[in-house]
Amino acid sequence: MKFELTEEQNLLRDMVRQFAETEVAPSAAERDEQEHFDRALMFDRLGELGLTGIVFPEEYGGAGADYISYAIAVEELSRVCGSTGVTLSAHLSLCSNPIYLFGTEEQKKKYLVPLAEGTALGAFGLTEPSAGSDAGGTRTTAVRQGDEWILNGTKIFITNAGDADTYVVLARTDKEAQKHHGISAFIVEKGTPGFSFGKKEKKMGIRSSPTMELVFENCRVPHENMLGEEGIGFKVAMKTLDGGRIGIASQALGIAQGALEAAINYTTQREQFNKKITAFQGVSFQLADMATQVQAARLMVYNAAYRASAHLSYSQESAMAKLFASETAMRVTTQAVQLFGGYGYTREFPVERMMRDAKITEIYEGTSEVQRLVIGAALTR
Amino acid sequence: MKLLVCIKQVPDMESKFKIDADGVWYDRSDLAWRMNEYDEFAVEQAVQVKEATGADLTVLCIGPEQVKETMKKALAMGCDRGVHIADDQSHRRDPYQIASLIAAFAGDKGFDLIFTGMQSQDRGSGQVGVMAAELLGLPAVTTIVGFALAGDKITVKRELEGGVKATVEATLPALVTCQLGLNTPRYPTLPNIMKAKKKELLAVAAADLSPADALLQTVKLTFPEKKGGGVFLEGDVGEVADRLIRILKEKTSVLA
Repeated sequence: MKFELTEEQNLLRDMVRQFAETEVAPSAAERDEQEHFDRALMFDRLGELGLTGIVFPEEYGGAGADYISYAIAVEELSRVCGSTGVTLSAHLSLCSNPIYLFGTEEQKKKYLVPLAEGTALGAFGLTEPSAGSDAGGTRTTAVRQGDEWILNGTKIFITNAGDADTYVVLARTDKEAQKHHGISAFIVEKGTPGFSFGKKEKKMGIRSSPTMELVFENCRVPHENMLGEEGIGFKVAMKTLDGGRIGIASQALGIAQGALEAAINYTTQREQFNKKITAFQGVSFQLADMATQVQAARLMVYNAAYRASAHLSYSQESAMAKLFASETAMRVTTQAVQLFGGYGYTREFPVERMMRDAKITEIYEGTSEVQRLVIGAALTR
Repeated sequence: MKLLVCIKQVPDMESKFKIDADGVWYDRSDLAWRMNEYDEFAVEQAVQVKEATGADLTVLCIGPEQVKETMKKALAMGCDRGVHIADDQSHRRDPYQIASLIAAFAGDKGFDLIFTGMQSQDRGSGQVGVMAAELLGLPAVTTIVGFALAGDKITVKRELEGGVKATVEATLPALVTCQLGLNTPRYPTLPNIMKAKKKELLAVAAADLSPADALLQTVKLTFPEKKGGGVFLEGDVGEVADRLIRILKEKTSVLA
């Protein structure tokens, strides 16, 4: 057993950290305040640095690196900006990955290559008003008519929506089939007639990441854009979410790391009662607990990522990593705000944003409750 | 055309340094390591020349096994191959010995242009580049902040004291040492990091290059005494302003 990163992974971390600190961090607070998705910075630049297709083979426009590299990239971006972290995670795990896993050679050439090269931004449409944690409740329909499928329905809370060029969308293709059967996945291009966007969500956190509704009104999608076989959409969605959990776990880890560092920097400067506040064990013990939890989360996330790259089963490990890392992010950011005192509650310091950003990691791509369901089911099978 | 860029691996300058047991260098355990900042300017400039001329670019680094990681960064930035002069004792060597190793390797290779940083961030002697040039019988231009190549001639800008700049010409072969402001080093992109893995990395034992004897010996290393907070300028407002401008010009790049 080896706990060392490779030279390539270290170089990647240095590179992403330098990029994140010099280019992403300076505008993070303003983008958050203005709910501004700066695509040139938050996506196009990632493409130029070869980060938009990290885990995919070179022949499909990727970098041919492993999932630990992916985890590191999302972690380092999220350390300064949770919104930029989720942009990459949703693009890579939720849109590009199902096309890589289930796509035909033609679909990979047409859609995966631009996604991986960073010239197209991806999004994933699963959630509906009646299908959140219960993906089987999908009501969006797709009815075959000749060589086309006609989509009708609404998807909600879709990350990267509006700006994304390529969407992987789940729809019910067989109304008679049992809940989890009869769902199929489709690749839908932005601009397809009948495909439009609904309201933009006003969110608590990750405010510079756009979240919108997808609206399908008699939207005609060619049959060649069906992703995977007809009726296996639920499996596509579950496989996609297994990988997605690594991305969100990495985002949570990065947010927690950012808050931990901010708390260390602040408390080692701040003086009260004529001494550094870190001289109080009440403060230093809190820092110790925060750092310990962040380190535990990191090992869990990298372990899940290692298993994904080694083609070992990782559904349970990624659920555990996502559960622990997201709850760690919430605890650590909350403690960071507390350590900053009144300053931490203001937008003068980044921990206030980090705490708001952390909350969503306990909710999206499977709530903490759903992760416990997945883990519990595997234990008691 | 053949190019060589010499780099050094140094600790992250934000590390907490301790003095080692011998009292002549810093403790090298538990440090994060980076490419010397000035060497990044050297690598960037060398890669730009390579891209403009199709020249062949070798990166050289002296040190223990761990320096290979820093060499991979240079390879990911665009160097064609690496030469690792394996030397566990490189941190004990004086600048003349380091220069002698570079010269011993480069002596019969016919490099047209050699790039180095103007100094290292840890030892900071600023001597290695110029001494290597001397040992190789090459002209050396130091602390360059501008660079142009035309045919077999380079025209470079040098930074002098007090913000004065000089323009110097030299005929190849030559050696230049690179200063902050020369360029903005590129990021090593992930695909290039992955490709660097496959580039040639030649190892040469330092002993095989017969390093010269040291000319200098570090006797003792100590931390600077803690100084009070800042400098107070007092007196007539106009005069204080003049002194402030002078300090900003000489000590910083704020007014450069």
